[in-house]
Amino acid sequence: MDLDKALTISARGMEAQTTRLRVIAENLANQDTTAGAPGGKPYQRKTVTFENQLDHATGASMVKVKKVGVDKSAFPQRYDPSHPAADGKGYVQTPNVNSFVEVMDMREAQRSYSANLQVMQVTRGILTRAISMLK
Amino acid sequence: MTGTAMSSTAISTSGFTSGIDLFNVADQRMAWLNTRQSVLAQNIANASTPGWKERDVGSFASVLASTTGITPTRTSAMHLQGTATVASGAHIVRGENAPDGNAVAIDEQMIKVAQTETDHQTATAIYGKYLGMFRMALGH
Repeated sequence: MDLDKALTISARGMEAQTTRLRVIAENLANQDTTAGAPGGKPYQRKTVTFENQLDHATGASMVKVKKVGVDKSAFPQRYDPSHPAADGKGYVQTPNVNSFVEVMDMREAQRSYSANLQVMQVTRGILTRAISMLK
Repeated sequence: MTGTAMSSTAISTSGFTSGIDLFNVADQRMAWLNTRQSVLAQNIANASTPGWKERDVGSFASVLASTTGITPTRTSAMHLQGTATVASGAHIVRGENAPDGNAVAIDEQMIKVAQTETDHQTATAIYGKYLGMFRMALGH
């Protein structure tokens, strides 16, 4: 049935946005995580990519997290010779996490999640009304 | 006396069969709205998927015309019988693309979802009203 399909699709959409939010939380929590040893690599920002996948049971295109990858951009350096992770020249590599980008991404995930939730509520309303015709 | 009673029965039965079959129309309308709702749910779930293009179903008028109106004529037994169902596929809507190739505007989709909900409400109300008329005629 189409409405059941719609409910499943919205649920998958919410699941995907939850994963996205989890990764954003990891990035924000680790935005100051540097390496333990001198000259080591700090925390590398994680990224989420989505893809649509044809669900053979329902014949609908569901959304799915394709991959949780890493951001390959360069690590910013900071001069701090007293830091335990500082290299020979006194530079510390810091994570390539930009909190503004993360917060913006978080907002987008939130909007997307609420949109999916809204569709789910509307679908439920339609179902309920159809059932109440039996009364 | 018997003649008039006979004719009034004939009129009332013909009224049911030859008039607009509201049950059938409301049923088709609801089926179409259900399909549309699932297509819109797909669009919204894939609002962040790169390369996803917005989809929508054909207009209800065209669906109604294809199911209740003209049907293809078969001139040979070898021909396939034309079947037009309500679930006739969703097509891609041309719109503006984001840099990642995604062409879904969530606000537009939400408007369509709201429209679908209102239209469904109307269809169920009509169905219920018509059913109520039958109930009244049966004396319930």
